[in-house]
Amino acid sequence: MDISLLFRIAAIGILVAVLYQVLVRAGREDQAMMTTLAGLIIVLTMVIKEISELFNTVKTIFNL
Amino acid sequence: MEVIKIIGIAFIALIIVVLLKQYRPEYTIYVSIVAGILIIALVIDKLAGVITLLQNIANKTNINSQFLGLLLKITGIAFLSEFAVSICQDAGENAIASKIEIGSKILIVSMSIPIISSLLEIIIKILPN
Repeated sequence: MDISLLFRIAAIGILVAVLYQVLVRAGREDQAMMTTLAGLIIVLTMVIKEISELFNTVKTIFNL
Repeated sequence: MEVIKIIGIAFIALIIVVLLKQYRPEYTIYVSIVAGILIIALVIDKLAGVITLLQNIANKTNINSQFLGLLLKITGIAFLSEFAVSICQDAGENAIASKIEIGSKILIVSMSIPIISSLLEIIIKILPN
Protein backbone atom coordinates (compact mmCIF):
# COMPACT_ATOMS: atom_id res chain seq x y z
CA MET A 1 0.00 0.00 0.00
CA ASP A 2 2.61 2.47 -0.98
CA ILE A 3 3.74 4.55 -3.87
CA SER A 4 5.94 1.81 -5.31
CA LEU A 5 2.80 0.13 -6.64
CA LEU A 6 2.26 3.07 -8.98
CA PHE A 7 5.82 2.80 -10.27
CA ARG A 8 5.45 -0.96 -10.76
CA ILE A 9 2.35 -0.46 -12.90
CA ALA A 10 4.09 2.24 -14.93
CA ALA A 11 7.13 0.00 -15.44
CA ILE A 12 4.99 -2.92 -16.61
CA GLY A 13 3.10 -0.62 -18.96
CA ILE A 14 6.24 0.75 -20.57
CA LEU A 15 7.85 -2.70 -20.74
CA VAL A 16 4.79 -4.12 -22.51
CA ALA A 17 4.75 -1.19 -24.91
CA VAL A 18 8.41 -1.75 -25.83
CA LEU A 19 7.95 -5.51 -26.13
CA TYR A 20 4.92 -4.96 -28.33
CA GLN A 21 6.86 -2.73 -30.71
CA VAL A 22 9.81 -5.14 -30.85
CA LEU A 23 7.60 -8.14 -31.51
CA VAL A 24 5.55 -6.30 -34.13
CA ARG A 25 8.74 -5.23 -35.92
CA ALA A 26 9.91 -8.85 -35.78
CA GLY A 27 6.75 -9.84 -37.55
CA ARG A 28 5.19 -11.75 -34.60
CA GLU A 29 1.91 -9.90 -34.13
CA ASP A 30 0.21 -12.75 -32.27
CA GLN A 31 2.97 -13.03 -29.67
CA ALA A 32 2.87 -9.25 -29.30
CA MET A 33 -0.81 -9.51 -28.50
CA MET A 34 -0.03 -12.25 -26.00
CA THR A 35 2.52 -10.16 -24.14
CA THR A 36 0.09 -7.23 -23.98
CA LEU A 37 -2.59 -9.48 -22.53
CA ALA A 38 -0.14 -11.00 -20.07
CA GLY A 39 0.94 -7.55 -18.89
CA LEU A 40 -2.67 -6.49 -18.49
CA ILE A 41 -3.50 -9.57 -16.43
CA ILE A 42 -0.51 -9.09 -14.14
CA VAL A 43 -1.46 -5.49 -13.44
CA LEU A 44 -5.10 -6.51 -13.04
CA THR A 45 -4.27 -9.02 -10.31
CA MET A 46 -2.20 -6.41 -8.46
CA VAL A 47 -4.97 -3.81 -8.68
CA ILE A 48 -7.67 -6.27 -7.66
CA LYS A 49 -5.78 -7.03 -4.45
CA GLU A 50 -5.69 -3.29 -3.67
CA ILE A 51 -9.39 -2.88 -4.46
CA SER A 52 -10.40 -5.76 -2.21
CA GLU A 53 -8.29 -4.28 0.56
CA LEU A 54 -10.06 -0.93 0.10
CA PHE A 55 -13.49 -2.56 0.17
CA ASN A 56 -12.63 -4.44 3.36
CA THR A 57 -11.44 -1.29 5.15
CA VAL A 58 -14.54 0.64 4.07
CA LYS A 59 -16.76 -2.25 5.13
CA THR A 60 -15.23 -2.39 8.60
CA ILE A 61 -15.32 1.37 9.07
CA PHE A 62 -18.91 1.94 7.93
CA ASN A 63 -19.92 -1.54 9.23
CA LEU A 64 -21.77 -2.15 6.00
CA MET B 1 0.80 17.73 6.58
CA GLU B 2 -1.19 14.91 5.05
CA VAL B 3 -2.28 17.23 2.27
CA ILE B 4 1.25 17.37 0.87
CA LYS B 5 1.35 13.57 0.71
CA ILE B 6 -2.00 13.47 -1.04
CA ILE B 7 -0.97 16.08 -3.58
CA GLY B 8 2.35 14.31 -4.12
CA ILE B 9 0.66 10.99 -4.86
CA ALA B 10 -1.83 12.74 -7.16
CA PHE B 11 0.92 14.47 -9.16
CA ILE B 12 3.00 11.29 -9.48
CA ALA B 13 -0.04 9.38 -10.70
CA LEU B 14 -0.86 12.22 -13.08
CA ILE B 15 2.60 12.15 -14.61
CA ILE B 16 2.48 8.37 -15.00
CA VAL B 17 -0.97 8.56 -16.61
CA VAL B 18 0.19 11.21 -19.10
CA LEU B 19 3.28 9.15 -19.87
CA LEU B 20 1.38 5.91 -20.36
CA LYS B 21 -1.43 7.50 -22.35
CA GLN B 22 0.65 7.65 -25.55
CA TYR B 23 1.95 4.06 -25.40
CA ARG B 24 -0.56 1.91 -23.50
CA PRO B 25 -3.81 3.85 -22.85
CA GLU B 26 -5.41 0.84 -21.15
CA TYR B 27 -3.00 1.11 -18.18
CA THR B 28 -4.13 4.63 -17.29
CA ILE B 29 -7.28 3.25 -15.63
CA TYR B 30 -5.20 1.05 -13.34
CA VAL B 31 -2.93 3.92 -12.36
CA SER B 32 -5.91 6.16 -11.52
CA ILE B 33 -7.57 3.40 -9.48
CA VAL B 34 -4.42 2.73 -7.49
CA ALA B 35 -3.82 6.44 -6.93
CA GLY B 36 -7.39 6.81 -5.63
CA ILE B 37 -6.95 3.87 -3.28
CA LEU B 38 -3.63 5.20 -1.93
CA ILE B 39 -5.09 8.64 -1.23
CA ILE B 40 -8.16 7.20 0.49
CA ALA B 41 -6.00 4.83 2.52
CA LEU B 42 -4.10 7.85 3.84
CA VAL B 43 -7.18 9.57 5.26
CA ILE B 44 -9.39 6.58 6.12
CA ASP B 45 -8.19 6.30 9.73
CA LYS B 46 -9.08 9.98 10.38
CA LEU B 47 -12.55 9.14 9.13
CA ALA B 48 -12.73 6.27 11.64
CA GLY B 49 -11.97 8.78 14.41
CA VAL B 50 -14.84 10.99 13.31
CA ILE B 51 -17.20 8.04 13.28
CA THR B 52 -16.30 6.95 16.82
CA LEU B 53 -16.85 10.56 17.94
CA LEU B 54 -20.30 10.50 16.35
CA GLN B 55 -21.14 7.25 18.08
CA ASN B 56 -20.09 8.65 21.47
CA ILE B 57 -22.29 11.71 20.98
CA ALA B 58 -25.19 9.51 19.87
CA ASN B 59 -24.87 7.33 22.97
CA LYS B 60 -24.85 10.36 25.29
CA THR B 61 -27.91 12.00 23.72
CA ASN B 62 -29.76 8.62 23.48
CA ILE B 63 -30.42 9.08 19.75
CA ASN B 64 -31.73 5.78 18.38
CA SER B 65 -28.43 4.01 17.54
CA GLN B 66 -30.19 2.07 14.78
CA PHE B 67 -30.62 5.29 12.81
CA LEU B 68 -26.96 6.22 13.27
CA GLY B 69 -25.96 2.77 12.00
CA LEU B 70 -28.20 3.26 8.99
CA LEU B 71 -26.73 6.70 8.38
CA LEU B 72 -23.22 5.25 8.46
CA LYS B 73 -24.22 2.50 6.05
CA ILE B 74 -25.70 5.07 3.67
CA THR B 75 -22.55 7.20 3.78
CA GLY B 76 -20.49 4.09 3.08
CA ILE B 77 -22.60 3.21 0.07
CA ALA B 78 -22.44 6.77 -1.23
CA PHE B 79 -18.68 6.88 -0.70
CA LEU B 80 -17.99 3.63 -2.56
CA SER B 81 -20.37 4.37 -5.42
CA GLU B 82 -18.85 7.85 -5.87
CA PHE B 83 -15.42 6.17 -6.06
CA ALA B 84 -16.63 3.82 -8.80
CA VAL B 85 -18.61 6.50 -10.66
CA SER B 86 -15.65 8.87 -10.91
CA ILE B 87 -13.40 6.06 -12.22
CA CYS B 88 -15.97 5.04 -14.85
CA GLN B 89 -16.40 8.65 -15.97
CA ASP B 90 -12.62 9.06 -16.10
CA ALA B 91 -12.46 6.08 -18.45
CA GLY B 92 -15.16 7.69 -20.58
CA GLU B 93 -17.92 5.19 -19.75
CA ASN B 94 -20.72 7.53 -18.65
CA ALA B 95 -23.40 4.88 -19.21
CA ILE B 96 -21.85 2.52 -16.66
CA ALA B 97 -21.32 5.43 -14.27
CA SER B 98 -24.98 6.39 -14.38
CA LYS B 99 -26.01 2.75 -13.80
CA ILE B 100 -23.87 2.65 -10.65
CA GLU B 101 -25.44 5.93 -9.54
CA ILE B 102 -28.98 4.68 -10.09
CA GLY B 103 -28.25 1.41 -8.33
CA SER B 104 -26.73 3.06 -5.28
CA LYS B 105 -29.55 5.62 -5.05
CA ILE B 106 -32.12 2.82 -5.05
CA LEU B 107 -30.13 1.00 -2.36
CA ILE B 108 -29.95 4.14 -0.24
CA VAL B 109 -33.68 4.83 -0.53
CA SER B 110 -34.54 1.24 0.28
CA MET B 111 -32.33 1.35 3.36
CA SER B 112 -33.77 4.61 4.63
CA ILE B 113 -37.37 3.34 4.66
CA PRO B 114 -37.42 2.68 8.44
CA ILE B 115 -36.21 6.22 9.09
CA ILE B 116 -38.91 7.68 6.88
CA SER B 117 -41.62 5.54 8.47
CA SER B 118 -40.61 6.52 12.01
CA LEU B 119 -40.55 10.17 10.92
CA LEU B 120 -44.09 9.83 9.57
CA GLU B 121 -45.25 8.25 12.81
CA ILE B 122 -43.85 11.16 14.79
CA ILE B 123 -45.58 13.66 12.50
CA ILE B 124 -48.89 11.81 12.78
CA LYS B 125 -48.63 11.84 16.58
CA ILE B 126 -48.08 15.60 16.55
CA LEU B 127 -51.03 16.32 14.26
CA PRO B 128 -54.20 17.13 16.32
CA ASN B 129 -56.59 14.45 15.11
